[in-house]
Amino acid sequence: MFSKFEEWYRDRHDYARAWKEKSSGKVFGCFCSYVPEEILVAANILPVRVLGSHEPQDVTEPHLFGMFCPFCRDVLAQGLKGRYEYLDGITLAQSCIHLRQAYRSWEQHVDQPFSYYLPHPMSVQSPAAVPYLREELENYKKAVEEFTGSKITNDDLDRGIRILNENREAMHELYKHRIGPEPKLSGKEAMWVTVSSTWIDKEEHTAEIRRVLKLIEEREMDRECGAKLMFVGSENDDIEFINMVESVGATVVVDDHCTGTRYFWNSTADDMNDRIEAIAKRYVERPACPSKDHPVRTRFPHILKLAKDFDVQGVILIQQKFCDPHEADMVPLRKYLEENDIPCLFLEFDVTVPLGPFRIRVEAFLEMVGEEDLF
Amino acid sequence: MAKEFWRWKEYNWHDENRDWREGKIVTSGVDVGSVSSQAVIMVDGELYAFSNMRTGSNSPDSAHNAMNWALEDTGMTLDDFNFVVGTGYGRVNVPFADKAITEIACHARGGNYMYGPTVRTILDMGGQDCKAILCDERGKVTNFLMNDKCAAGTGRGMEVFADLLGVSIEDVGDLSFDVEEEPPPVSSTCVVFAKSEAASLLREGWSQSKVLAAYCSAMAHRVFTLLERVGVQKDFAITGGIGKNSGVVKRLEQELGLTALTAKHDTQIAGALGAALFGKALVEKGKGRKK
Repeated sequence: MFSKFEEWYRDRHDYARAWKEKSSGKVFGCFCSYVPEEILVAANILPVRVLGSHEPQDVTEPHLFGMFCPFCRDVLAQGLKGRYEYLDGITLAQSCIHLRQAYRSWEQHVDQPFSYYLPHPMSVQSPAAVPYLREELENYKKAVEEFTGSKITNDDLDRGIRILNENREAMHELYKHRIGPEPKLSGKEAMWVTVSSTWIDKEEHTAEIRRVLKLIEEREMDRECGAKLMFVGSENDDIEFINMVESVGATVVVDDHCTGTRYFWNSTADDMNDRIEAIAKRYVERPACPSKDHPVRTRFPHILKLAKDFDVQGVILIQQKFCDPHEADMVPLRKYLEENDIPCLFLEFDVTVPLGPFRIRVEAFLEMVGEEDLF
Repeated sequence: MAKEFWRWKEYNWHDENRDWREGKIVTSGVDVGSVSSQAVIMVDGELYAFSNMRTGSNSPDSAHNAMNWALEDTGMTLDDFNFVVGTGYGRVNVPFADKAITEIACHARGGNYMYGPTVRTILDMGGQDCKAILCDERGKVTNFLMNDKCAAGTGRGMEVFADLLGVSIEDVGDLSFDVEEEPPPVSSTCVVFAKSEAASLLREGWSQSKVLAAYCSAMAHRVFTLLERVGVQKDFAITGGIGKNSGVVKRLEQELGLTALTAKHDTQIAGALGAALFGKALVEKGKGRKK
């Protein structure tokens, strides 16, 4: 049922190249999930999130500090190795300095016609955040228009907003099938869907979700659900890891990742005269990355609500090694969740993860949250 | 052949004063660890027999060898078990096990049996990893933390030191206190780097005891930080082979400001004990093997 998503997840570059050939359109690489894709879609550009490949590499050492996260390293390696040679442009929306450094190095050492650093407010809770981002998005829109040679009209923006929102709505509907005693899809399948949504043409992606939604009600999983878990962390597209977790008696039913719910959870208002302001508002108000979640900690109650709504028995806190914003959150977040009776397992991720040592931790965690028969 | 100073006592034992045939539930736990393997046999939840030996290169063979040794002279065979639980890193490679359970859960349950229901923190210092485990009054894990990435502060590291210094592993603890004053701990906890550091200290004229004191102290400090992270609750106990090494245990107690509970059983069998007890619980819930 999810084989198309699996194929898209696996053959991401083939897809983008084929899309480009078919549509004669342009493809932009997005660093971070704060890049306003509505504007790119309005300009008939395919936004693709730049992610790593989970392979050990030795090309980024001269470019990044040793204490920068493995994700930014893996991302930069893809550029330096020429895996995204089809990109016409790249955009970084500011969130953390690690990814910014990967972007800067990419910009300098990888040849592509367009590169844009989009300042994005760190204080998203400030009243100045929306007006500030609005101005920055106007500038970005102009830069994209200059690059493509075509004006982005309000109709174009409406189309961009509609296409993004339709995909977000479809994702929400799919996630509803992960609630309840017998989720209709595994966490691995959901990961194929959510992660691939960050680089597949949104209309095509939405159509495939809609096709699946027609069939999913009748679906019976060929495995027991086991303990229902939630993943929380920064970027996570590690299929091997989620597969291992689900092979030892668990189903991942929800997440708070920027490659998961944080990416699609809220929509852009489609009834505002000022479309750019509507887009700015959406990115300011979306579930926050910890780098922007100050001074009020909005993500803690948001994560707790997700955990409760999806009725999870435990949370796996995933931290990319050296990811400062997430690392700073891990201790208070764990305390907060445990105080709310949600047990947590903390794991530190690298470009590759040690599946054996992680397996025993996950199994012991599952025994801790369940297995009452043993007593 | 050179003397193998790392060699700890391998042995088996069974309760000659009991007839296992009078028991109702006979279960076994087999802990195939990275360094040592144990098979424990329990009759109605009481320890009846066990073996403790070196793990070989093949997990199924190690499981069989440990089990055969525990069964020796008991008149019991594999068919007499109501349930067998495999644990340890080779837990899925125990051919005759009915279920595999992690050593984290098993050490908590085994620790609860060995030290009583007041134990809340168990430090399992195994062959190649350390686990700080918090548990409730039933021996159910409530939180845990494992060492990451390296084998420092584990049994294998201590074996390497025993060999380097030519001191029998069972004498390391006592000998490490034979110093006029406590030396600073070795700065490296990585087994390989600590070994080269120790070699330089010996060249500088340090005595065996002083080097051992420096290593035991470094090891105690390393596991102390692991315990600090999980949050130590009283009562506290140590399982695994290092639990028998007073050089580490006493230094750790000093850092913690706590005295570890002592057990009448061999601390190395805690995991297999817990596994056998889980087997009994499953049999009582009707989930046992059909005989």
